[in-house]
Amino acid sequence: MNKEIEFTETELMICVASRTFENEKTYVIGFGMPQITCMLAMRLYAPNLTMAYEYGTIGPRLQAYDPILMAGSADNYRAVAWMDMNWLFWQCSTGLFDYAVLGATQVDQYGNINSTMIGEDYSRPKVRFPGSGGANEMGSLCWKTVVIMVHEKRRLVEKVDFVTTPGFLDGSEGARERVGLPKGTGPYQVITSKALFGYDEATKKMQLQAIMPHTTVEDVLENMMFRPVLAEKIERLAPPAETELKLLREELDPKGAVIKAGPVIKLKV
Amino acid sequence: MDEMEVLASGEGEFRLLDPDAAREWISQHRAKGLVNKVVTEQEAVARFVSDGDYVSWDLADVVRGPLSLFREIIRQKKKNLWIAHRFSYLIVAWLYMGGCVGKVDIGFIYMSRVVRNAIEQGKLKVIDWSNFAMTSRQMAGAMGIPFLPTRNLLGTDTFKTSGAKMVKDPFTGKPICLVPALFSDVALIHAHQCDIYGNTRIFGPGLNPRAVAFSSRKVIISAEEIIDPEEIRMNPGKTTLPYYCVDAVVEAPFGVWPGTMPGRYSMDPEGWREMFGTLDNEEQLREYLDQYIYSVPSHLEMLEKRVGAKRLVQIMVREKNREGYY
Repeated sequence: MNKEIEFTETELMICVASRTFENEKTYVIGFGMPQITCMLAMRLYAPNLTMAYEYGTIGPRLQAYDPILMAGSADNYRAVAWMDMNWLFWQCSTGLFDYAVLGATQVDQYGNINSTMIGEDYSRPKVRFPGSGGANEMGSLCWKTVVIMVHEKRRLVEKVDFVTTPGFLDGSEGARERVGLPKGTGPYQVITSKALFGYDEATKKMQLQAIMPHTTVEDVLENMMFRPVLAEKIERLAPPAETELKLLREELDPKGAVIKAGPVIKLKV
Repeated sequence: MDEMEVLASGEGEFRLLDPDAAREWISQHRAKGLVNKVVTEQEAVARFVSDGDYVSWDLADVVRGPLSLFREIIRQKKKNLWIAHRFSYLIVAWLYMGGCVGKVDIGFIYMSRVVRNAIEQGKLKVIDWSNFAMTSRQMAGAMGIPFLPTRNLLGTDTFKTSGAKMVKDPFTGKPICLVPALFSDVALIHAHQCDIYGNTRIFGPGLNPRAVAFSSRKVIISAEEIIDPEEIRMNPGKTTLPYYCVDAVVEAPFGVWPGTMPGRYSMDPEGWREMFGTLDNEEQLREYLDQYIYSVPSHLEMLEKRVGAKRLVQIMVREKNREGYY
């Protein structure tokens, strides 16, 4: 009980998220954190998870994270197929892909995601972000959407400034289906640096289900712009295990391109 | 009952494609003979890229992007280009700094300080779609049809900023999204191999190189190497594009420098750092363009004078993952 461990916020999110990833399921993933999370899950928890990128590489066996070079040869190593963007999203459209894993700049209580801009005027944004990329189609067409993001008040808002990627839209019953999005799809989980959220079935609102090992429910709620539904029992998540951290630091992201980001957390275990 | 009712329309600007006009253009301009199309990059860009052109390409920029052709476009100071963009790090920043860009369709755009400031200050007009929306639009253009139905964009602000429409599907009565076909003026495609006629081989995953080429009036291929036409015929399953959809072939070894050509060379760490380091400051970016574009007359001279053989050999050695290419 006296050992102190140290990890970054990013390492914590990756470790916790990786434990929720399912074996023998198909994932379309964004770059950076989602990618490393998948790599870790495949090494420890879900060896036969199939990950794919939006440009059509299916099931690569990655050796280590290759910063920046999306679609470079390291990202495509020992895949089962190299297809293209049309074929990848057509497969999502026919229901072949179980999960989308995305980062987000802003998420609201109904799981709508903003990665486009802050401000009122589209032609003169206050802050401009990269835009949808493949996020809109991933969150529209995959069965379940998982978001991994830093927990900050300005990021967890009641209503996003711009809906880049659809969540449960206005939260009304059947809102996604009414606009033509595939039935049964939508937000599933948000993993932040402070907590793990699911969604309340009745209200479609984000539901606090578990908190990170270094925080409290009060701290989680204070750092959000809206009050999530609270699960009957809110669990405390286990901190990163030694095996997880060792793999991340020594093999999956040895340069620390992704995992070193964010504040360092010290914890007695 | 059977009519296709429009339920909502996006506001984004797009260029309407008349498939019959495109067919006519293609029938009049696509040379079907086997002619040698090899030209210098100067000639290819001078002849086939005009001010105001709608420009498309496949994949990213630092991965198999046609960087040598973009550098030539900047060198020739082309103006007011409309960029059909999915994702890139530097191309929009370079074109903006070079005064070449009019507007940009966006899938994903790397927010360097230069680009971000330009958009926030209203100096760079962008039209947000998504990567798949842009890819579907090119697919429609390549299929010779005016639009394609997709099941994304629906219900979002991305729909509103795009030029898509939400309609009632006349078969099921359910709402569906339609994206208008994109038919660009010129496509720039960087390939691993090409013969003198334009038969082209691209290895590894891409976005949709075939659709990009077939949805464009003019197509310039820059290739790492020009190979014997008999080699193409000995393995036709490897052909990405047949010759008659190509207008010009440019030999461009290390055409993606400082980026990577998967299966052939890796990125150049030194060139990479230097390039990335200038994307956040207009003055530094202008100096970068001076050094690597304006002050050297051609791609080959840039390689010779600014990069050097040693580093080019090193990036070939650094590319360890060669399985599956060629």
